[in-house]
Amino acid sequence: MSSIPKKNKSLMASAGRILLSGVLAVCPVANMAATGSDSPQNVLDPTQLSLEDLMNLQVTSVSKRTQKVGDAAAAVFVITQEDIRRSGATSIPDALRMAPGLEVARIDENKWAIGSRGFNGRFDNKLLVLIDGRSVYTPLFSGVYWNVQDVVLEDVDRIEVIRGPGATLWGANAVDGVINIITKSAKATQGGLVTAEAGSEERTAESVRYGSKIGNNTYYRVYGKYFDWYPSIDVTGATASDGWHALRSGFRVDSNATTANSFTIQGDIYHDNFGETVTVPSLTSPRFSSTYPNNGYNSGGDLLGRWNHSFARSSTSLQMYYDRTNIADPTVFGDHESVYDIDFQHDIHLGEAQELVWGLGYRSIQDSNGSSFTVALLPDHRNLNQYSAFLQDEVSLLDNRIHITVGSKFEHNPFTGFEFEPNVRVLGTLTKQQSVWAAVSRAVRTPALTEEGLQLNAGIIPPAMPPLNSPLPVIEAIFGSPLFRSEDLLAYEVGYRVQATSSFSLDVAAFYNDYTNLRSAEPGAPILAGSPFPSYVVLPFVASNKMSGGTYGVEPFAEWKVLPRWKVSGSYSFLRMNIRKNADSLDPTPDIPNGASPRNQFYFRSSLDLPKHLEQDLIVRYVDQLPSLSIPSYYSLDLHVGWKPISQLQLSFGGEDLLNSRHLEFIPEFINTLPTEVRRTFYGGIAWTF
Amino acid sequence: MPIIVPRDKAIMRVLRPIIAMGICLSLALGASAQTLDSSDSSEYLIKAGFIYNFAKLVGWPQGAFAQPDSPIVIGILGTDPFGGIIDRILADKQIDARRFVIKRLKWGMDLKGCDILFIGSSEAAHLEEVIHALKGLPILTIGETPGFARRGCIINLVVEDNKVRFEVNLDAAKQADLNISSRLLALARIIPQSAAETR
Repeated sequence: MSSIPKKNKSLMASAGRILLSGVLAVCPVANMAATGSDSPQNVLDPTQLSLEDLMNLQVTSVSKRTQKVGDAAAAVFVITQEDIRRSGATSIPDALRMAPGLEVARIDENKWAIGSRGFNGRFDNKLLVLIDGRSVYTPLFSGVYWNVQDVVLEDVDRIEVIRGPGATLWGANAVDGVINIITKSAKATQGGLVTAEAGSEERTAESVRYGSKIGNNTYYRVYGKYFDWYPSIDVTGATASDGWHALRSGFRVDSNATTANSFTIQGDIYHDNFGETVTVPSLTSPRFSSTYPNNGYNSGGDLLGRWNHSFARSSTSLQMYYDRTNIADPTVFGDHESVYDIDFQHDIHLGEAQELVWGLGYRSIQDSNGSSFTVALLPDHRNLNQYSAFLQDEVSLLDNRIHITVGSKFEHNPFTGFEFEPNVRVLGTLTKQQSVWAAVSRAVRTPALTEEGLQLNAGIIPPAMPPLNSPLPVIEAIFGSPLFRSEDLLAYEVGYRVQATSSFSLDVAAFYNDYTNLRSAEPGAPILAGSPFPSYVVLPFVASNKMSGGTYGVEPFAEWKVLPRWKVSGSYSFLRMNIRKNADSLDPTPDIPNGASPRNQFYFRSSLDLPKHLEQDLIVRYVDQLPSLSIPSYYSLDLHVGWKPISQLQLSFGGEDLLNSRHLEFIPEFINTLPTEVRRTFYGGIAWTF
Repeated sequence: MPIIVPRDKAIMRVLRPIIAMGICLSLALGASAQTLDSSDSSEYLIKAGFIYNFAKLVGWPQGAFAQPDSPIVIGILGTDPFGGIIDRILADKQIDARRFVIKRLKWGMDLKGCDILFIGSSEAAHLEEVIHALKGLPILTIGETPGFARRGCIINLVVEDNKVRFEVNLDAAKQADLNISSRLLALARIIPQSAAETR
């Protein structure tokens, strides 16, 4: 079974540390170094392991901790650097298509809908994403601007995908899943790397990275990356306006100053220009709407610092970061966010079988935005302060065969005040090859700025049109409300893992999620608007908490090493959503969440190592129809060939979506941008290290 | 309280017992099961585990140890990447009657008293001189730097895809009169001695 780094007991806990900052991570190793022989007994004793076991352990550069996926009481999937390379993935969303339980759909060249266990959408608000411990969640819609999240894919160490709630460690909005993108340490990226890629979709991408050493224990790397994606096509086959090009640069410095202290400083800066076709309501007759190509840009940067320190029987981690995001979509909406975040974590070993972790966090968000007729947000300046604390205890019983983790997050946000997010997780090791786990957790999704103060003019009914027959045009507008509360989840999860033979493993997770207070749009009293004289009517639909219901599903993943040089793996994701409006809801819209995530998904991959340093991969995916969006199901076939003629040179060739000349994957919600089609693509790439 | 439609209640009726059974099953079966504890570890914790295993799986020639309970002396040459880890891990361990003694060494000091010599990356520039100084002595040399096995180090640890692998130079092991078990060799990557480096 593959292994992921994490805390020795619950994956959630360890991943928490890793992410919260590989730093926050308690560093047990430094612990031991600092304490000599009186170190905690529950730290791994490698002399008890055979060479074979040791060879299966994973060395983690960020957190220096290791845990097998088999020891996590959570549904975890790890996408490794090798997976990324061999799949031919050229972006983070591409790579995420490998993970069971996730829904990844491309809207246009620069927009995605990515969700976990349902509720998928461009503005999905139930998934938390972190890059090297930095949350890339936006308070604007409680989601992720996927088009500003990027890294040099060759420098990614792994992507940990945790389905289900992770709120106890990560806090609000880690409702249906947590994605941790973890880049390699600077020590692991020494020397130079130049990559270039070109493809039939008239796309090009180049990156340059250089890493070196400063002094004895300090390593750094710097990188630059540029890509240009040409426009795709719309459903009629005409060239769309969704081109995208981006320039990004950054650095990372890692220092192990002493055995008890380590430091990381990293930062990025980026700028990109994107295109799209938007349709917005307009008060001008006769069409009362306008459709036009719209160009905008995003820019921003981040700076993160982290300090890990070890004491005799405990360790601490302190992480701080600043993140700036500017979204400039001149005719629709502009947004400028600054996030200041500080996290502290302390791990304490209590006796031989107990570990206590607690932490404190503070986040300050400054948001300012620019409105248009289509989108307005009030107030246009906002400062948000969020405080959080968490406490988690992990106990090992029966000679480490049972691990029980109990903990809760407590946080305070300016919208709803105090929230708490407890969980209980139990992992049982049945035999050396088998384990089962179960978890019950609560998570909340706190309101976003838009849910408090938005006015989005989403549609228009021209004058004298049935059924209203209003003499004035009627704008259907979505409004935020200060009364909007958090959405709540109570999640029940179970899982089973088995390493049936040395070449075959199976991992199954099942869940039932019980949601309450989900967002609905309740109609309000019409408002006469316009100046100096009333010239139109606004029909408000106000954010309210009048939906609830359950989702359930099962996600098996199996891996079989048929031959030493041939591995096949596959996953199936089943999801059923029964979200309903409450009896007192007047929301007239159909039950959109239920039909916007695929009920069935398959993923199959064959990875073959050929002589002469050739590797060949074949990926078949099936994604079920999205009934409420009228998107048909589709199969896709990707092929990838990698060749390393000499150790410094990696060549790759491939084709994506070979079964379809083109297909649509998603229709965006709220902002009416034109979805474009994914086309059959051929590409080639080169990576040179020196 | 959650408002659940009847269908979901049915699902929960099914799931609750499954969850309960899962917990009971794990408690019941766990009690009689063996566990592979994964726990906290790090690169050098893992590498220390490798060194311990190598000590078990390598046979020293007769006369290499004065007494049946003479300790196995591990020398760490150059910059010490282990911190205190290896001392702690091996503090109360023994192989047969032999305990472990860990020594920190610098180039220029006498290396001949060691049974195992861990050669740090800091010694890359004069590795050939180190190897030459140990020539013919039953000392298991272990490196962790690319190219060390080819340059005459008997075992070289390499980290690939975040996992520790090791290379073995059989010619060098033969010269040191060390007997390397087949179990160890089965997991190793066998590296030929570079022709230019052969003395």
